[in-house]
Amino acid sequence: MSELITQNLLVFGGVLFAIGMVGFLTRRSLILMFLSLEMMLSGVSVNLIAFSRHHQNYQGQILAIMVLTIAACEAAIALALVVSLYRRKATLDIAVWDELSETLIPKVAEEPQSLSEPEMEFPKLTPAGLDPLSRPISSNFDAHSNENGESVKASTLEASIHA
Amino acid sequence: MNLLNDNNALTSLAELIPTCMFMAQAAADAVASSEVLTVRSDKWTLSMLIPIVLGAFGYLFIQYGVVKSWAATLAGGVAFGLVAAISFAYTPGTFESAILMIFCALATGGGVGFLVAREPVYAALGFATAVLSVCGVLFMQSALFVAAATMIVYAGATIIIFLFVLMFAQQTELRNYDVQLNKPAFAVTFGSILLATIAICVTSANALPLTRIDSTRAMSAADLPENLRSEAGKLEAQKWDAIDPNLRHIPNLTAGLGRSMYTDYLIAVELAGTVLLVATIGAIALAQRTTETQT
Repeated sequence: MSELITQNLLVFGGVLFAIGMVGFLTRRSLILMFLSLEMMLSGVSVNLIAFSRHHQNYQGQILAIMVLTIAACEAAIALALVVSLYRRKATLDIAVWDELSETLIPKVAEEPQSLSEPEMEFPKLTPAGLDPLSRPISSNFDAHSNENGESVKASTLEASIHA
Repeated sequence: MNLLNDNNALTSLAELIPTCMFMAQAAADAVASSEVLTVRSDKWTLSMLIPIVLGAFGYLFIQYGVVKSWAATLAGGVAFGLVAAISFAYTPGTFESAILMIFCALATGGGVGFLVAREPVYAALGFATAVLSVCGVLFMQSALFVAAATMIVYAGATIIIFLFVLMFAQQTELRNYDVQLNKPAFAVTFGSILLATIAICVTSANALPLTRIDSTRAMSAADLPENLRSEAGKLEAQKWDAIDPNLRHIPNLTAGLGRSMYTDYLIAVELAGTVLLVATIGAIALAQRTTETQT
């Protein structure tokens, strides 16, 4: 019973750690990378607390407090770094700061990409004339003759359409 | 283009629904076939892998723009939650464990929101949700002081980070580095393999070490000699002594934690204080606007 809960909590800690790791690897904003790191640390503390409960002693809790201390230090230093880096280049992009990295792969200038593609809008035409589906035109239709085959003038044809 | 998107969303939805039904069927079968409801842990190992894979694919779908509409994302999230709930449903439920699971689910949801959100503000909100729910989990595990300290530290830190986000990252238009992520397929593959490995290892039978109540080593000051016990902790120490050693649960007393911290782990506490001091000095030195950088 309590073992199952401990196991579930270990899986939960792993989930938090994996979420933080995926976020750290994919995110490119400095602040969000830092938040991912904090999430990994909280997954670790969940693990520690679960084992502290499992073994029924205080060692895991004390280790979790140490982790919390280190996380606080890291938060202070990371935010100071973010401030000073932002002051230099006015961006939070991590890719701006790759001057020390290898230059084997040439840098590709990336195109700005937006989330929502602008939808193409076609102009709507006002419907004109007769609807051929509701009133199919017979093949031997003569515009100058009415339904009885008599020849009529154009003005009378207009009148018959509107009627 | 729009039509194509909707089609994809519909097909992914249509794929999700049979998966859910399959999961429900499997869960019902497993529950029906087991004589007793105390399920052995090796039975739900594999069922735990399904939400992992599903979540990984959902994340990739969102990141690569296969699923763009909010409705599809929401439906996928609901399906993922259902599958995860089913795979965790084997845990025999008391009221306490139910609350614990709710906190776990909230934290996982906040983490997923943090991962998926494009806007930095929403990501920070998801992070706050996750961390506060983790505090709840710690609270339910009778780590009261750690829960309170985590809440204080992260509440302060989260407010500061909100300020930072509002200062730096809050733009009317999304920045390019918020939209284009860094190799999501690689990261998700790596992360899901790691998570699957953790889940398999942790939930396999006899994975956990036996509960070790070590009476030879001083776990708390209650086990220390009498002359080291403080006057303030005497009452709790006597209570602790009065309990049958086989029935001793960890006392959710912060006093015991404090006694243990300031007797057994005194050097670690001193070192942590030193590290905090150094970090404070470093942060001030880093954030200072020097004359060189001032242009």
